Amino acid sequence: MSDAEPPELSTSADPPAVDPPGRRELLAAALSFLLGAVPAAIGGLFFLDPILRRSKGGGNDGGDQTMDGFVKLDITPDNLVEEGPPVASTVIADLDDAWNRFKDVPIGSIWLRRQQGGEIIAFNSICPHLGCSINFRRGENDFHCPCHASSFDLDGGTTNDTPPRDMDSLEIVVATDGRPDPNGTELWVKYQNFRRGTPEKKPI
Amino acid sequence: MKALIDWFDHRTGFKELMHEALYERVPGGARWRYVWGSTLVFTFMLQVITGFMLWSAYSPSTRTAWESVYHIQHELTLGYLVRGVHHFAAQAMVVLMAIHLVQVVIDGAYKAPRELNFWLGIVLLQIVLGLSLTGYLLPWDQKGYYATQVTTNIMSATPVVGDQVQTLAQGGTEYGHLTLTRFFAMHAGILPTLLVAFLALHIYVFRRHGLTVRDENHAPETTFWPDQVLKDAVVCLIVLAVVMLLAIFKGAELSAPADPSVKFDAARPEWYFLFLFRFLHFEVINKMGVTFGAIIVPGIIMGVITMMPLIHKFLGEFGHTLNKAFIWLLGAGIVVLTTMAIIEDREDESHQAALAEAHRDGARARELAAGPDRIPVDGAVELLRRDPFTQGPRLFAKHCSACHRYNGHDGRGTMVVDKTGIALPTAADLGNFSSRDWMRSVVVDYAGHFSWQKNAVWFQDAQKAESAGEEVIYLNPDDSEMATWADVDSLHSTDNAENLTALVEFLYAEADLGYKPLDEDEREAFNNPLAANSTLTDIGRVVAIEGAWAGDLEGTSCVDCHTSLGEDFVAVADDDADGYPTLAKYGSAVWLKDFIRNPGKARHYGEKNQMPAYSPQQLRDDELDLLVRWMTHDYLPSEVHDYENRLAELSESQGTSAGTGSIGASAAEE
Repeated sequence: MSDAEPPELSTSADPPAVDPPGRRELLAAALSFLLGAVPAAIGGLFFLDPILRRSKGGGNDGGDQTMDGFVKLDITPDNLVEEGPPVASTVIADLDDAWNRFKDVPIGSIWLRRQQGGEIIAFNSICPHLGCSINFRRGENDFHCPCHASSFDLDGGTTNDTPPRDMDSLEIVVATDGRPDPNGTELWVKYQNFRRGTPEKKPI
Repeated sequence: MKALIDWFDHRTGFKELMHEALYERVPGGARWRYVWGSTLVFTFMLQVITGFMLWSAYSPSTRTAWESVYHIQHELTLGYLVRGVHHFAAQAMVVLMAIHLVQVVIDGAYKAPRELNFWLGIVLLQIVLGLSLTGYLLPWDQKGYYATQVTTNIMSATPVVGDQVQTLAQGGTEYGHLTLTRFFAMHAGILPTLLVAFLALHIYVFRRHGLTVRDENHAPETTFWPDQVLKDAVVCLIVLAVVMLLAIFKGAELSAPADPSVKFDAARPEWYFLFLFRFLHFEVINKMGVTFGAIIVPGIIMGVITMMPLIHKFLGEFGHTLNKAFIWLLGAGIVVLTTMAIIEDREDESHQAALAEAHRDGARARELAAGPDRIPVDGAVELLRRDPFTQGPRLFAKHCSACHRYNGHDGRGTMVVDKTGIALPTAADLGNFSSRDWMRSVVVDYAGHFSWQKNAVWFQDAQKAESAGEEVIYLNPDDSEMATWADVDSLHSTDNAENLTALVEFLYAEADLGYKPLDEDEREAFNNPLAANSTLTDIGRVVAIEGAWAGDLEGTSCVDCHTSLGEDFVAVADDDADGYPTLAKYGSAVWLKDFIRNPGKARHYGEKNQMPAYSPQQLRDDELDLLVRWMTHDYLPSEVHDYENRLAELSESQGTSAGTGSIGASAAEE
C-alpha cells in the first residue's frame, strides 16, 4: 500500500469508479465476521477442552499400582466366604482432579462376592441406570438401588426392567506381591466407571 | 432541578423512554391476572442481587465449595438470609413461571402475532431450569452432588452427542474441580447473560404487541403506571414476604459435604423435578430405555407446548381448546406424580432412614466445621472421614451388626432383617458399651447381660451336644462362674449397695470414656462430661482389688480371677494368661482394640471364643481406631440428633419369635 492511496480514496468524488461499494461491503463484512469469529473460536475451543483433551488421557486414578490399571484392595480372599453375602470394599488410590493430586483417597466402592466353586466376582457399586449407589438388601438377599428401584441378583444380573444392563462387573485378580497367583493373599481390582443409562457397558 | 432534568433529557431522551415504559395502554383496566410477568422480573432481580452477593463469598472447587457455603450460611452477616432468599426465590421463580405459562395458554396470549414472543418465553423457561439445575450442585453437598449426577447421566443418554455433552458439562469424565468451575460459570455468567438478553427481547416484543386483553369492557382503559404497577407491586411484595419467611424460618439446607465414596441413599431432585423422578420409576418406562423416559418424553411435551401457536393456527379455536386441555392435563399429571413421589418416600422406611442419616451427617459436618479446629485445608469431607461419630456407626453396621446390635439397630438406625423379619442378635447389644449401666449389668446380671448369644446357632448346637452327653467347651452365660458369683444374695443386699455403686464407678473409670483432643492445650481445657467420680472410684478400687464387701462376699475380690484388673493393659501371651478374661482397662480403647483383633487369645475368651478375629485386612487400623473411638465416645461431643434407640422393638420381636424362646428363662432351664 502506498502512502498516496488513503487521501486519494477519501477525496474521491466518485467512489464507485475507484472501489465499488460491493467490494467494500464484502471486506467490511468479512472483517466484522473475523472480529467476532476469532475470539469466539478461541473461547469455544477452550470450552471444548474436556472433549478435545480426552484422547490425550490424563484423567483419573493413578496410584498404588503394580499391575497396570489395577488397584490393591485392603480386603483379602480369605475374607470372602463361599456363597456368603456380598462384601463392600472401598477402593483407595491416588486421585487426580484438575490441578490436584489427592494421595490415597477413596475413589469408589465395589461389591465383592465368592461364588459357588470359589470364584471371586466384583462389581462397581454405581448403578448402571443413572449412577446412584447400589445396596445389598439382607432381607431380600439382592442388590437394590434406592433411587429408581433397580434390582439385581447376587451375580449382578438384572431382576427388573429398570436398569438397562447387568451390574458392571470389574476384573479382579488374586495375587502375591502384585503378581497374579491363584493362591495369593492379595486382591487387585481394575476399578473403572462405565457410562450410565445405556445397554452397552462402555468405560468412561 | 427541572433545569437539570431537562439538560439530562436533552442529552439522553430519557423522558420519552420513561413515558413509553410507564404509560403503556392497559385496555379493560389493570387486573391481577396480568401480574405474573412482573413477578418473574422481580424474582430475577432478587436473584441477581443475592447471587452477586453470594458470588462475593463463594469459592468453586471440591475442597472449598461446601466450605465457603458453610461460611456464608453460618458465619457471614445475614449470610443465611441472602442464601435463603436466593434458594427460595429460585423455587418461587419456577412456580411463577409455571403460573405465567398456564396464564398465557389459557388467555391465548401465544396466538398470532405473539407466537415469537411465546417461543422466547419457552427459551427463558429453559434458561431458568438450567439455572436451577446448575445452582443445585454448587454447594457441593451430598444432596446436590448425587441428584446432579443423575441429571448429567441423563444428559449422557441424549442420542449421538450425549457422551460429549456430559463430558463438556462435567469438565471431564468424572466430577471434580472443573465440574464446579464450569457449573459456576454457567450459573453465574453464561445463563444469566442469556437470560437478560432473551428477557429484553421478550419484553420488547411484548410491548410491541401489547397486553392480551381478555375483556376490553372489564373496566375503563388505564395505563401501566400507576394502576397496574400497584397490583404488580402488591403481588411482588407477597412473593418477597413468602421467600423471606421461608429463608428465615425454614432456611436453605446444607447437607454433608459431597463424598463420592459415601453412598447417599436419600438422593432426590428438587421438589419441582420430583414428577420427572417419579416418572422414571415406572418399570414400563424404563423398559423403553433411559433415553425414552428422560429425554424423548419430556422433549415431546416441550415440543407440544412449543407447537401451541401452530396448533391454534391450523385448528383455530378447537386448537386453542386442545392446548388448554393439554396444559391442564400436564399440570394434573405433574401434581399426581409429585404427590405419589412424596407419599411413597414418606412410607418408605429405608428412604426415611437414609434421610435421617443424611441430616445427621449434615448437622455433624456443620458442627465439626464450627468446632475448635475449624475446617482443615483438605476440606470438610476429610473432617467427616476422620470423625468417629460419623464413621463409627457405618463401620459397626458393616462389620459388627451381623451378630451385635447397637441400641437394637444396626448402628445406623436400621433394624437388621432377614427373610422372616427382624433378625435377632446373636451377641451383646453394644449401645451402652462401657457405660455405668453396662458395668453394673455385667456384675449383677451376667447371665441376662450376655443372653442374646443364646440365639446363636453355635450356642444351640453346643447345648444339644452337651445334653447328648458330649463334653463341650463354650461360653454359657447361665453356667459361668461369674453368673454364680453374681447370684449371691449379699451382692444384691442393701449392705453392699454402696460398694456395688463404687465398684461400678471404678470399672467405669477404667474404661475411660470421653473425648481426648489431640491438641494438648485443648485436652487440658476440655471438661469431660463422661468423667468418672474420683472419690467413688477410689472406694470402688478397694472393693474390686481387696474385696472390701460386706456379708458373704467379704474377701472375694475381682482380682482373685481377673488378676490384672486395675493395672495398665498388657497384651500378655497365651502362656502367661490367667485363664480368665483380662479386665485390665476393660472397655477402654486400648482393651477394645486388642479384643477386636484377638478375641480368641487366652487373655480374652480363649477356647470359648466365638467372635471372629478382625485382622487389618478386614478392618484397617484407621478404621479400627474410628470404630473404637466411637464406642468409647472419644470424639468432639455432639448435639446432633442421633439414631433412635430401638431396643424395645428388638425385645418385642424376641418375644414373638417362637423358635428361640424367651432368652432369659427357657434356655437356662433346659
